Amino acid sequence: VKILRHATESRIKRVMADVLGIDQHSIDEGTSMDGVAAWDSLSHIQLCVGLEQEFDVSLDVAEIEHMVSYRKIVEILQPKVAEI
Amino acid sequence: MTPEPVTGDSDRAEFLDALATGRVTHAMRAARRLLKPRPRLHDLSFVRKAVAKTTHAAGIAPVRIAILSSFSIEFLHDSFEALAFLDGLRLEIYQAGFAQFRQDILDSASGLYAFEPSVVILAVEGRDLIPQLYGGRYEGPGEKADATVAAARDELVGLIRTFRERSKAVLLVHNFAPPRWRTLGILDAYVGRGQAQYVNELNDALYVASRQMPGVYVVDYAGLVMRYGAVNWYDTRMEHYARAPIAQAHLPDLAGEYLKFCRALAGRTKKCLVLDLDNTLWGGVLGEDGVQGIKLGPTYPGSAFMALQEAILSLHRRGVLLAIASRNNPADVDEVFADHPHMLLKREHFAAEQIHWGTKSDSLRAIAQKLSIGLEHIVFVDDNPVECEQVASELPMVTVIHLPTRPEQFVDTLTLDGLFDSLSLSEEDRRRGDLYKQRDQAEELRERSTSLEDFYARLQMEVVFAYVQPASLARASQLTQKTNQFNVTTFRYGEAEITARMNDPSWLVTTVQVRDVFGDNGIVGFVMAQATGDRAEIDTLLLSCRVIGRGVETAMLAYLGAWARSREVRWLHGKIILTAKNQPARGLYDSHGFRRVGDGENGELCWILDLKETSIEYPSWFRIVGASA
Repeated sequence: VKILRHATESRIKRVMADVLGIDQHSIDEGTSMDGVAAWDSLSHIQLCVGLEQEFDVSLDVAEIEHMVSYRKIVEILQPKVAEI
Repeated sequence: MTPEPVTGDSDRAEFLDALATGRVTHAMRAARRLLKPRPRLHDLSFVRKAVAKTTHAAGIAPVRIAILSSFSIEFLHDSFEALAFLDGLRLEIYQAGFAQFRQDILDSASGLYAFEPSVVILAVEGRDLIPQLYGGRYEGPGEKADATVAAARDELVGLIRTFRERSKAVLLVHNFAPPRWRTLGILDAYVGRGQAQYVNELNDALYVASRQMPGVYVVDYAGLVMRYGAVNWYDTRMEHYARAPIAQAHLPDLAGEYLKFCRALAGRTKKCLVLDLDNTLWGGVLGEDGVQGIKLGPTYPGSAFMALQEAILSLHRRGVLLAIASRNNPADVDEVFADHPHMLLKREHFAAEQIHWGTKSDSLRAIAQKLSIGLEHIVFVDDNPVECEQVASELPMVTVIHLPTRPEQFVDTLTLDGLFDSLSLSEEDRRRGDLYKQRDQAEELRERSTSLEDFYARLQMEVVFAYVQPASLARASQLTQKTNQFNVTTFRYGEAEITARMNDPSWLVTTVQVRDVFGDNGIVGFVMAQATGDRAEIDTLLLSCRVIGRGVETAMLAYLGAWARSREVRWLHGKIILTAKNQPARGLYDSHGFRRVGDGENGELCWILDLKETSIEYPSWFRIVGASA
């Protein structure tokens, strides 16, 4: 379970790094929409849809609005990914 | 168990490394592996950002594109720029404000015109143009609906017309997809004209308008939505939440559709399809299964191979050159062509054949040489991953299509990317296969001739100069877009730009047609020059590689000289803009008595001819038609 968790997290970071144009290794628990200049409403939608595609999951608007930090993204995606 | 490496890591590393060291072709190849056949959205973001950051990529041709839309289309940029890179194109995008397409077109001082784009995309969703025709607001057919649709049609055509008058840019305008659901359900077309019919009529009107205006092309958006299905194409969640109705997973498909036009405009249309034989044109291995054993016929899997042959034949009819690169015994292949009842492709459809046990990269080089085309205009198709990799690594400029394992997928794999799409279909295209046969015959004649003059005389050539006419406009534009070798400036022109010059008396805008003893080569040359006072400047002078080496360029300069004199011009200026490909044109001015006069502002090489002192004569071996300029 721990390994699975690790793989999921690095995939999330990869998508975030690609979409936001930031270094993958700079992403941690504290990374949030407020602290990253490139993370605006437009790239937020790209990020969420990119994550949906990467993990083959579907997000509803409430979840999209909630996923405003790395911590919250993991929180929402982890159970969906674990279900598979 | 260790964590799985994230897929595509090695391609990413190779891509970044190649990009950093300026090996753009290699970077393109690595990016292609990362993004094909279906790209992931975040990979597209990654590639776009890396390309945008690299100064080396500045070396590849920029295309200025303006996007006008009735909805949020910014998400397209990643797909568009990343996929353009795979075609060797760099985009500079002007994105109009949300739903500002009317203002941008109608206001002559708008950002659109200030940007001076070369291509403009007008992407309007049907429901945004005519809300009364879509969904719950549709009230059924009748006079009211007729009037609403007619008004919207007139507005749209009016916008296009206004744009055409103000800009020379190529305009790509979306047609309209029918509503996802019919308001009257299964009764739709029974109470009068159906909703879908209204949309079809609107689309017809759009095509009619685009045919009347040069440089206006319809993007078959409806066809694209249909291909993937409206329920997949649209993301209703994002339609409501972000005014971005197109599902992001399908944005690469939309970008791919635009790129078909961009490639054609940039002269990157593929010209030649090189095919493997075993497990490509037929199922099985000829050397092992024999002529009777290969799979080709009306039942599966032979039917899938027949379908592919049919698709290839249709490309041939559009002017795509076909060639074979196969590791086989030539005698076995002869037998298939002679005896197999279901071979739709015949020997005469192929302009070149390389059937031997050498490498495929050598075969491709030989084919390119025989047909006088660049390797970057070749598409190579093979089922064998090793052969594909061998070609991709030896000849990274060749477009390689690795066929999937299932033959029923071959046709889509070959056709959906539109690699051979061009913006015009001329008489020359339809006859291209024959034209290359004529050239082969001319080569034989050359071998039998005692001297070059003797050969020219035996060819009995006739050169026809003619002012560009509506009928030859498409061909003239196509020549500027496709001719890379004998082309002094390689300026690419759309029909709208050439039309503007046709109507300007200071310009000479002339096509050159060549006939010889073997037949009519069609329009193979094009020249544009402008006279101002006592000087005239040659803007474009190009010649199709089919007729290089016969002195036609001398006749073209003689014609230009006569035209200039009739305008009382004394100084004829010529310039050459060096490209990787136009080596054959570089000696043109030196060998015709022009004097080199340094370099122009943009690094072009300049020559000048004093018509008072020097005159250029038509070569004696031509019969010249239409010489009185």
